[in-house]
Amino acid sequence: MLEGAELYFNVDHGYLEGLVRGCKASLLTQQDYINLVQCETLEDLKIHLQTTDYGNFLANQTNPLTVSKIDTEMRKRLCGEFEYFRNHSLEPLSTFLTYMTCSYMIDNVILLMNGALQKKSVKEILGKCHPLGRFTEMEAVNIAETPSDLFNAILIETPLAPFFQDCMSENALDELNIELLRNKLYKSYLEAFYKFCKNHGDVTADVMCPILEFEADRRAFIITLNSFGTELSKEDRETLYPTFGKLYPEGLRLLAQAEDFDQMKNVADHYGVYKPLFEAVGGSGGKTLEDVFYEREVQMNVLAFNRQFHYGVFYAYVKLKEQEMRNIVWIAECISQRHRTKINSYIPIL
Amino acid sequence: MAALDLRAELDALLLQLLGDLEELEGKRAVLNARVEEGWLSLAKARYAMGTKSVGPLQYASHMEPQVCLQASEAQEGLQKFKVVRSGVHAPEEVGPREAALRRRKGPTKTPEPQSSEAPRDPLNWFGILVPHSLRQAQASFWDGLQLAADIASLQNRIDWGRSQLRGLQEKLKQLEPGAA
Repeated sequence: MLEGAELYFNVDHGYLEGLVRGCKASLLTQQDYINLVQCETLEDLKIHLQTTDYGNFLANQTNPLTVSKIDTEMRKRLCGEFEYFRNHSLEPLSTFLTYMTCSYMIDNVILLMNGALQKKSVKEILGKCHPLGRFTEMEAVNIAETPSDLFNAILIETPLAPFFQDCMSENALDELNIELLRNKLYKSYLEAFYKFCKNHGDVTADVMCPILEFEADRRAFIITLNSFGTELSKEDRETLYPTFGKLYPEGLRLLAQAEDFDQMKNVADHYGVYKPLFEAVGGSGGKTLEDVFYEREVQMNVLAFNRQFHYGVFYAYVKLKEQEMRNIVWIAECISQRHRTKINSYIPIL
Repeated sequence: MAALDLRAELDALLLQLLGDLEELEGKRAVLNARVEEGWLSLAKARYAMGTKSVGPLQYASHMEPQVCLQASEAQEGLQKFKVVRSGVHAPEEVGPREAALRRRKGPTKTPEPQSSEAPRDPLNWFGILVPHSLRQAQASFWDGLQLAADIASLQNRIDWGRSQLRGLQEKLKQLEPGAA
């Protein structure tokens, strides 16, 4: 790749970078969160959100306001912004943005297949699918019986097609296999995304590769943690770990043998980045491993904005916006359940 | 003398009634706490997994109950309630049964006995690798269930105690028309 991105980047992508930096500046501040935490009802929350950049996004909602409706509207708003970026982008930024949507597509496919298992109507599920992961063949996903069916008949035209190599099998799609399929698809997707960023080189690789490595390691830890006490065998577990990141390959081998949280912590203690994270788990705030990982992710994404002329700002903006949505949904849940002791467990961004 | 015995019985019954009421208050407070904890753990699970991954999309509209209520008659026509797992009446099986979630290799040639499967853990509606908070929610709600059955039995006992009390007070009035 040509070095000196600062000379050529703005020709194709300058407008969109400026736009995304403007969007980032409108994320909620600590003061906004303090105001939200003091609300007594969801209607109060809606009124406070109107004073922020969210504006009247809940204006068309019928009573009663629920947390689920707030979440759906926030997602639609993010999707609107993202579609604007994608429609105005040129290569290779458009491929980068398409890679970003693949993770949502995988979630939607799994949601549809689970819905088919529970005999839900397709329309019901389509309403709850993530708008960023929409693709035209979505309605047909629920008729597939095996992963090969799914690939050959339906997903072969979508961007998900290249990720199916490890997942082709004739096994019927029951709960265990759907979970395995989800994790294997995600693993292939992450590896492909990492390769794309690395091959692109330049500032984008400098910024995106550490973020994606952290994502791979995070997945390895969380899969291991959640697999304790389930039917998932250690060999199966090892096939779900993405093959890049700081933990690859020795850490992953050790992690595959772990049988409880302490053994996992011992593996993490070998890595200078993860040792303090694991030490922060538990403690007085009652933080879970997912919480500390989300905090670290926010730190890395905020730092991405310190450099210019790379695509990482788009990825970082979407992830920060997602964290903001998680924060707002958490505060809304605490308000609607009238259980305010943990209401301050959100992660402030700016 | 009969009046004295009756008064003693009345006192004993009243004491027991008050004790039961205190126990009921305690159990109600614990039930509320468990249910609140359960819902908060569900919210935490939504934070970790995504809001739409823990919701009405994940369960079927028709489901088989895992737990049943068993009513039994104790002494003096008093009803006690107990929570019992359904599916205890297992069908007659000859060979070893496979766990419901085994990954089947290759196309299944032999038809599996479809008469009645072991009831599946509702935790698996949300996937196999579920976060800890979801398991905590399940444990809280399960505790709440046990408590609810105890509370129902206690309330029955209290109602019965009150009717006994009234009966004894009537008898006392008849024995001592002036003193009651």
